[in-house]
Amino acid sequence: MENVLAQTTSRPQATTETTRSAASQPVIQLRDIEKVYQTKTIETVALNRVNLTINKGEFVSIMGPSGCGKSTLLSIIGLLDEPTSGTIELDGRPVKSYSDKELASLRNHKIGFVFQSYHLINDLSVLDNVELPLLYRPGVGGKERRERAYSALEKVGLGARTNHFPSQLSGGQRQRVAIARALAGRPEIILADEPTGNLDSVMGEEIMDLLLGLNRQEGTTIVMVTHDEQQALKTQRLIRFFDGSQVQ
Amino acid sequence: MIRHLFTLIWNRKRANFLLVAEIFFAFVVLFVLGSLLVDNYRKYTAPLGYTYEHVWRVDMDPNGQPISRQDATFQRLIQHLKSMPGVRSVASTRSNTPFSFSDSSTDFKADSKSTNSDIYSAGDDMQDVLSLELAEGRWFNRHDEVAAHPPLVISQEARQALFADEPAVGKIVRAMDDKEFQVVGVLASSYRGRGEFQELEPAIFQRSENLVDPKDTTNFDRPRLLIRVQPTATAELEQRITKEIAAVTGGWKTTVTTLPEERTTRMKFALAPMGGMVLVCGFLIFNVALGLFGVLWYNISQRRAEIGLRRAIGATSSRISAQFLGEVMVVTTFGLAFGLLVAAQFPLLGVMGIRLPVYLASMGLATVLIYVLTAICALYPSQLAASVRPAVALREE
Repeated sequence: MENVLAQTTSRPQATTETTRSAASQPVIQLRDIEKVYQTKTIETVALNRVNLTINKGEFVSIMGPSGCGKSTLLSIIGLLDEPTSGTIELDGRPVKSYSDKELASLRNHKIGFVFQSYHLINDLSVLDNVELPLLYRPGVGGKERRERAYSALEKVGLGARTNHFPSQLSGGQRQRVAIARALAGRPEIILADEPTGNLDSVMGEEIMDLLLGLNRQEGTTIVMVTHDEQQALKTQRLIRFFDGSQVQ
Repeated sequence: MIRHLFTLIWNRKRANFLLVAEIFFAFVVLFVLGSLLVDNYRKYTAPLGYTYEHVWRVDMDPNGQPISRQDATFQRLIQHLKSMPGVRSVASTRSNTPFSFSDSSTDFKADSKSTNSDIYSAGDDMQDVLSLELAEGRWFNRHDEVAAHPPLVISQEARQALFADEPAVGKIVRAMDDKEFQVVGVLASSYRGRGEFQELEPAIFQRSENLVDPKDTTNFDRPRLLIRVQPTATAELEQRITKEIAAVTGGWKTTVTTLPEERTTRMKFALAPMGGMVLVCGFLIFNVALGLFGVLWYNISQRRAEIGLRRAIGATSSRISAQFLGEVMVVTTFGLAFGLLVAAQFPLLGVMGIRLPVYLASMGLATVLIYVLTAICALYPSQLAASVRPAVALREE
């Protein structure tokens, strides 16, 4: 606890971002975000006064050592977790003002998630897995759900695997299903937490190409957490994290 | 969403099999026990056909008096008791008094129809003693002594069994020994001498004639008296009656009990096995509840990552709760569907000899009970699922 607190006292003041493309319209804005996990005996600072703006159509990668707060940041951006202090704005509106129902609706309409461990439901077919976000979207009927899920699977090259179950697919295929699931809801933002972390280099390249294609062709804003420098360098902006703070 | 639930449950059929089996067995046991309980409740709420309050039963032991003198003593005793202050009416009968553990039945025939019926011996004042209501005809009176055929008063069930919907008064009925009787009255309802838990069965009253048969040396079925006393009667009257009987009979031993006391004893005998059934039912429900609760809790803890994912892609916490509750309800429906298939065989095969409406009511009750039970057991685990923080759940896998 002493060490963690000691680290929090020496907060880095500089917040430098390596910008590779001109920013236009901000979609996500984080101001002085702090996240502290507190137990009976220990207080851990996961994020320390993070300020970050993500513009529409950007592909941003976040790098840093394990435990530096990358995934926590992604959870906060994805409205899955609340910061201890600071404000998050989505399209210029503070998310604190949203109710649980509105937050769920925002996650459903605006954000698509891709996880390192895919998070597919093993008891559902590939098509059923991809349909999931649309299940929570009022007004989307069964037929439309099927069509959109099928179209998303076609995009990731898995149109022939709709009736397979996740256990019958390779790691790369599973991650493509996860990307199709994120795409099915046609979100403006995709948050990818180490999407190639469990894949070999060839599969990793495949997935990276898919995400780059989405960003370039469809203008989808992507925030990707990665450990892979080579992949991070392919994105428009790289943010480095250390001990809960941006360092570059 | 319903299709999604069914898909999910179907794809998890192996995991859900035990839950379906548990619900199936719980339903069948609840249905069987419920049928017995509902049947007993139906009997309990049906009319007895008489009133028992302020009615006393007098058992007598002639204490060695020669049998040839007993009938005359008995008739004299009835006249004496009737004239006592506090006594409203007195009727002679046999051992199968209301709520007693004695019964007597025989076969009767009328034209082409026949029935086995409980048979009760009753004096002329029995209608007043037990407040019996008549739908047709009359009760016994002294003119019946010279009637061509001994008179009978029959219950509604006996009338239905022997005459269906035709009038019964004046009709001739034959006993097993071909002795002919004439129906003089029909009770307004049933008569259930064995108490509230007796089935609605035919009952026939015949007029008490020779209370003590001089040829019967077995003393197997001694006559008894039923006395309707004034509502204000106390133990003091009981003492006076005992003394009066001793004085009139020259030392007969007497035991006086009230019909409410007899009823309490009878109820205890009937309720003890039912109490056992309720205990078994309660124990079963408790075990099923514990089992369900454990299985559901385990299921939810195994599916935290899925819960996190669903939250991440747009499910509200109430939607998550509703989904888990819905899944349990669908699984319950499968278990109940199998259970109802088995339950439907009971009335078709006449397994327990219970009427169809009772079976239907029991099916309904057991179904509702199982749904309520599973909903209660699923509620807390479902709320637990809904309260899972998505970011934490997603990190756990």
